[in-house]
Amino acid sequence: MTESIAAVPVERPAAAHWLLQLRRAFNANATSWVGLVVFLVIVALALLAPLIAPYDPLDQDIISRLEGPSAAHWFGTDSYGRDTLSRLLWGARLSLVIGSVSILSAMLIGGTIGIVSGYVGGKFDLVVMQAMDVLLSFPSLIMGLMVVAMLGPSMGNLIIAIALTAIAPFARIARAPTIAVKERDYIEACRALGYSDLRIMAVHILPNIMAEILVMGSLWLATAIRTEASLSFIGLGVRPPVATWGGMIREGFENILDSAWLSIFPSLAILLVVFSLNMLGDGLRDAIDPKLRGGE
Amino acid sequence: MSAATEAPLLELDGLVTEFRTGGAWHAALRGVSFALARNETLALVGESGCGKSVTALSIMGLLPPANSRIAAGRIRFAGRDLVGLSEEAMRKLRGNEISMIFQEPMTSLNPVLTVGFQVAESLRYHRGMEGQAARRAALELLDQVKIPAAAQRFDDYPHQFSGGMRQRVMIAMALACRPKLLLADEPTTALDVTIQAQVLALLAELKSAYGMAMIFITHNLGVVASIADRVAVMYAGAIVETAAVDELFARPTHPYTEALLRTIPRVDEDSAGLAAIPGQVPPLSAMPPGCRFAPRCALREAECEATDPALAPLPAAADHRVRCRVRAPATAAPRHA
Amino acid sequence: MPEPMLEVAGLRKFFEVKRGFPRATTVTVRALDGISFTVGAGQSFGLVGESGCGKSTAGRAVLRLIEPDEGRVAFKGEDVLAAGKERLRALRRKMQIVFQDPYASLNPRRMIGKALTEPMRVHGVGAPGERVARAELLLAEVGLPKNAMTRYPHEFSGGQRQRIGIARALTLEPELIVADEPVSALDVSIQSQILLLLQGLQERRRLSFIFISHDLGVVRYFCQSMAVMYLGRIVETGPIPAIFKEPLHPYTKMLRDASPVPDPTRKVAMLRIEGEVPSAVNPPAGCHFHTRCPHAMEICRKAYPEWTPLGDGRGVACHLHKV
Repeated sequence: MTESIAAVPVERPAAAHWLLQLRRAFNANATSWVGLVVFLVIVALALLAPLIAPYDPLDQDIISRLEGPSAAHWFGTDSYGRDTLSRLLWGARLSLVIGSVSILSAMLIGGTIGIVSGYVGGKFDLVVMQAMDVLLSFPSLIMGLMVVAMLGPSMGNLIIAIALTAIAPFARIARAPTIAVKERDYIEACRALGYSDLRIMAVHILPNIMAEILVMGSLWLATAIRTEASLSFIGLGVRPPVATWGGMIREGFENILDSAWLSIFPSLAILLVVFSLNMLGDGLRDAIDPKLRGGE
Repeated sequence: MSAATEAPLLELDGLVTEFRTGGAWHAALRGVSFALARNETLALVGESGCGKSVTALSIMGLLPPANSRIAAGRIRFAGRDLVGLSEEAMRKLRGNEISMIFQEPMTSLNPVLTVGFQVAESLRYHRGMEGQAARRAALELLDQVKIPAAAQRFDDYPHQFSGGMRQRVMIAMALACRPKLLLADEPTTALDVTIQAQVLALLAELKSAYGMAMIFITHNLGVVASIADRVAVMYAGAIVETAAVDELFARPTHPYTEALLRTIPRVDEDSAGLAAIPGQVPPLSAMPPGCRFAPRCALREAECEATDPALAPLPAAADHRVRCRVRAPATAAPRHA
Repeated sequence: MPEPMLEVAGLRKFFEVKRGFPRATTVTVRALDGISFTVGAGQSFGLVGESGCGKSTAGRAVLRLIEPDEGRVAFKGEDVLAAGKERLRALRRKMQIVFQDPYASLNPRRMIGKALTEPMRVHGVGAPGERVARAELLLAEVGLPKNAMTRYPHEFSGGQRQRIGIARALTLEPELIVADEPVSALDVSIQSQILLLLQGLQERRRLSFIFISHDLGVVRYFCQSMAVMYLGRIVETGPIPAIFKEPLHPYTKMLRDASPVPDPTRKVAMLRIEGEVPSAVNPPAGCHFHTRCPHAMEICRKAYPEWTPLGDGRGVACHLHKV
């Protein structure tokens, strides 16, 4: 059937530069726009924290401890009298930095492993992918726990821990389309033209799978921020007194009965970030996937 | 055609089928008319996008409803107009009185059901046959399409069959209910030449054995010469030339038919000068005004680009009709209804 | 015969394929079972056969896009199979490929201009400005406008894409082109455009071709000599006029007579070729063709016929034609 209908000219979704592809996906899906805007607002607030935060996040004010939301302290103060709003804004910087650095490294390392493994194929592919499966079999929190427990809690180690949990998924997401693309005639043409394997992977295969990797990245960024919060919550994150969202929730926990806002506001912040990123990623994936599969 | 004593089995009259692309309706068929007698094989020839497959899908009522419609015309089959017939009524007709076989025998069979089951299914559905009776009848059909050791292969799955054998299974399924009309859409295009020769022979043999009419859709003029009684050459959604097969190949008259014949490198003789038709088939959404072939035509005159000629009979042979104002100026000859 | 551009001898490639579930067994596909042929300089050599006969594998093995297991490939006397990485890169400038499917042969995410200048960049040919100018000249040579440079493949029709694929193969000024069914996916009117284009290029640039096709008409038109393949082996070879006038191998004759001709007075021989093409996984013993051969004799079931050279560049592997 499809053969006969294909004889009728239908508009084929055009495949072009992956940036164009992303833009088209945005236009096709309103929820991804909402997600992007919300996320960008959060990023802007985090960047502007030094300018807009009403107080120094570390300034203690013993007089006004554990105050509820007021005109002076919109989100109240904690047990040291520090301003919750200011700590939230500064904490956003840290959470976003840890999340994005770890996910970018995971993308880079995992993506490279996936492309190389898929392109080389054979026994190499088999071994690499089995190693990835081992990595994948650890729940990310357990993996994070193990790494931080071994290396000690610090921002750098937190990034390593989170990145390690995300490498395997990126390797998988990069490998599958690589295997599909490398069988194409145009890759064979590249080999016939004497291009190096490195060039074929970087210049010819990567752009074909870029959109998928970025979508995956936005979804995993949400997970990374959650993992960071969880590790900080159990005290394996960045050391106090530096403000992180997970750390704030834990500190608030000590006074959860009479000062619930201390945990609620950072929790809401995490919820908002995760929600916006998932909206962004899901929307893009829906818009990109059918075209990637059926379009070419 | 007034000489035909018997009413034709199938008659298309001014069929206009439209597709929606980019928000506007475009005619994929622009008034296609032909008549097909019982026992006759009509070949629809043309390049992709000429409307030959759309013609078959229109007859079968299998156009995708979301973006296509029959805007005008009639399809009279055995005394009934199929345009506007309910889906329910069409379903009774399909696979029963009208059958269709497709180009891709690989994708037209369900991979998870046995070949025998799929052949018997049509008998169960349309004829209410059951159990052993359906099995026996299906086996007989597989024998008729010359599947070697059909009894042993009855319970095999499609992937255990080669392309040629799968096309035979498709033919067996199509013929299960002894249809009056078989629509064959490029049934041999995906096959190797020696297998194509076998399938063509099989179709010709079964056609006369069953007394069917057949519409054979192909882009291959060599295949046309081998199987057709009559030929209709299509270009950009319209028949541009139609004649009996011997007449058409002896006196190709429309510039497109003529050019097409000169583009084929022949197996049986040295083709000294291969000619190419410049340009390409215009897309549905950008059809030139006037004669659709004019922009690519060597005989083009100024008038050709302004007015679209009608399909007119040649003075010498009334049954040979051509849509060209240069080669077949529309005389007072009566137009076929 | 002019001096050879390419000599292939005893080329062999077997594939191991795992089949079956849950217990997979390994089967060997004998895709190329020792084939030999010679392509003269400036000549077109046709490789003909039905699907699965190994003709595409042969084309790719010659270019080492698939590494053959055994045999010899000599390009202008240089051993291609022994070439190291650098020599191979240099050889690839001289030997190019054109594909069948114009929709799969161009990277959908690369502009045409990039696709055409990239090979020159990789091989350090010309300065950046020159490369663009040369790419534009190539486009003109294959009949496309300059503005194609800044477009993506999806903006072109199948025939135009095939032209782009041909232009890309020409970027490094090759001397030999493997054309793998270059016109099979195209409409008839476009097919002849591309054939004429290739023919013009061949004359202007003195190119040699290995022209792989299942269409005997196209091969008869385009080539000077040809080889017919059946299940991984060459069964007959020779100059085009001689083979078409008097095919010696029964398979060649069957192919010729089954090819449809646009002439109702010469309908295709709807011969009683019963049976199917056997698979290269398990080719019949003896002569692989004996299961379908109208002249099969006792010996054909037992022994594969030896290659018999007949002079004038002709040769055949058939027990009917032993000297």
